[in-house]
Amino acid sequence: MTFEIPFGPQHPALEEPINFMFKIEEERVIDVKTRLGYVHRGIEKIAESRNYQQLVYLSERICGICSFAHTLCYSQTVEELLGLEVPERAKFIRTILAEMERIQNHYLWLGLTAKEMGFETLFMYAWRDRETIIEMLDMISGKRVNYGVNTIGGVRRDIAESTIERIEKSLEYLEKRAEHYTRVCTKDPSILKRTVGVGILRPREARALCAVGPTARASGIARDVRADEPYAAYGEIPFKVVTYRGCDVASRMYVRIDEIKESIRIIRYALKKMPEGPIRVKVPTRVPEGEAVSRVEAPRGENLHFLKSNGSDKPERWKIRAPTLANLLSLCRMLIGVNLADVPVVIAGIDPCIACAERVALIDAKTKRREIWDGKDLWRYANEWYRRKYGF
Amino acid sequence: MVSEEIWILIEIFLFPGFLFLFSLAFFTEWFDRKIVARFQNRYGPLHVGPKGILQPIADFFKLLSKEDITPRAADKVPFRLMPILLLTLAIAPLFCIPIMGSNGLISFEGDLVLIMFIMSLMALLVFIGGWASTNRFGTIGSIRAGLQMFAYEIPMNLSMIGPAISAGSLSVSKIVEWQINGVWNVLIQPVGFAVLTICLMAHLQRIPFDIPEAESEIVGGWLVEFSGKKLALIRLANDFEFVLASSLMASLFLGGPYGPWYISLITYLAKFLLCAFILSNLRAAFARYRIDHLLTGAWKYLTPLALLQVCLIKAWGI
Repeated sequence: MTFEIPFGPQHPALEEPINFMFKIEEERVIDVKTRLGYVHRGIEKIAESRNYQQLVYLSERICGICSFAHTLCYSQTVEELLGLEVPERAKFIRTILAEMERIQNHYLWLGLTAKEMGFETLFMYAWRDRETIIEMLDMISGKRVNYGVNTIGGVRRDIAESTIERIEKSLEYLEKRAEHYTRVCTKDPSILKRTVGVGILRPREARALCAVGPTARASGIARDVRADEPYAAYGEIPFKVVTYRGCDVASRMYVRIDEIKESIRIIRYALKKMPEGPIRVKVPTRVPEGEAVSRVEAPRGENLHFLKSNGSDKPERWKIRAPTLANLLSLCRMLIGVNLADVPVVIAGIDPCIACAERVALIDAKTKRREIWDGKDLWRYANEWYRRKYGF
Repeated sequence: MVSEEIWILIEIFLFPGFLFLFSLAFFTEWFDRKIVARFQNRYGPLHVGPKGILQPIADFFKLLSKEDITPRAADKVPFRLMPILLLTLAIAPLFCIPIMGSNGLISFEGDLVLIMFIMSLMALLVFIGGWASTNRFGTIGSIRAGLQMFAYEIPMNLSMIGPAISAGSLSVSKIVEWQINGVWNVLIQPVGFAVLTICLMAHLQRIPFDIPEAESEIVGGWLVEFSGKKLALIRLANDFEFVLASSLMASLFLGGPYGPWYISLITYLAKFLLCAFILSNLRAAFARYRIDHLLTGAWKYLTPLALLQVCLIKAWGI
């Protein structure tokens, strides 16, 4: 019996609206179609009418969870256009906050995946521990989610000497918990049953489909922007890129738990080696003409910002490629052949963040031609459609 | 003469009849929720009544007052009948369980078979309810419910037959009496007790066997189209099933009520709560299994173990 099962845009297992149409044969997925576009916000279009300083705040709101990665990426792009050198201390603070965000995101992911597996207890525990790191971020920046720390030319808030001790203490706790979760996730038979060998993405496929972040690293590909093309202070901090060769959800889980431990080590090192000095430099409002690209390893994977300036105080084009968009192709590959019961776990496995990934792209069903529309085209199309329909 | 009739009415409606059973069902839900919440480092129900003890009642009345929707495509008669039948069937076997003294309200030779039969019927009703809702998630959920029944039904019944063989009677009251004079069955049939516990978890559709509901996969499965009064009745029926499961464990394996009248009630409640605690504890400790995991597990391990237990009882002659 072949079923068509819709999964989303509203579904208890998905926090964000995306639609998967599964073709099911005896609980096994034989085909999947994805549909995006439910939360398109037109951020790239808005950007063309805002100045560079305002865009820092806009970029922070691309994604709630990796807000720091987006601002970091954006700031780096503008700094490159300006030919600006950021103070050393600012670079270290950026590194520390980026890693804290990674810890926060990975705990969130662990909890969500546990919930998809139907393991409520692990979900509650992981989110309780996530609270510790969020409190630290709150202490440094004054906010729990959108920190507002990054700015063009440095950071807005310093890490005071007095807070370091508290950060160290919470890191110790988090490290202990991460050890505990490693033990739980490698030993618990019900977790192993649900994750080992589920949602396979072979290294060759991962490379061909351009998987990024923990998804790629769980397929044995050591792809990490922090190591490949160091930004902020990553060049001065020794750390290892975590890879696993299992290619399944279990490996994605272990990669993330090990990355938590690695991040804790990075933060400790950075806190110790943080140089004194200013945390930001003054920047001009106008940006010289040019193009720049910046890459940042967000918790979910590689984050890419492209900026084209025309010499005014507003950018001409700002292109964002969030990690989820890069991983969607791999996700569709992973989902085929998976049991219906494993679908939520596999989807959660790439840590999707749909709102980041939404762009307008039209695909002609007959000719398979793909074209990207901008606002003018949409406006023209809307007018034509109404003219045709109502004879305006 | 008249006083005897009044006594019977009190037994049926107040104690240990409807009033007591309803309170017990609501209390058990609260107990379960609170225990699981404590395991998960949460508070659980807190506001309605002392320590939130009235929360299940509040939830029940809230659901009763909600809009009751019957989907246009649903098979109306079974869809509407299913919650009522489920509740009735969940309450009925509880009258056979001895709560105070060693006799149930209704007790006859063979009532254990009736309980087994009604428990199978409940699983079938779940299947019918999900199927009648004609929702795609409901259909998948009900198929899963049917498959799940094939997995746990046989080992569950086998492990319930164990105490009956050793007591030489198919009546729950007789089994309880036999244990009062001899030893608790859990001491001589530990494997049967373990198998029964696992199978009851599957029968109650609790984590790790909430496969037919599986909120994160199929949005509530067979429950998806039920709302308002129907959902309230189904949830109440689930509470009664939970009471039935814990009572069965307590009376078949832990000796049931013991002693003069009020002490027997206290012993029953203590054993009952112990069993409810075991079931709640297990719920907090696992991730959900897949339906194929459950089926292979049940046929590979549970059924042979239950059979082995029955053989051992026969071999030892106890």
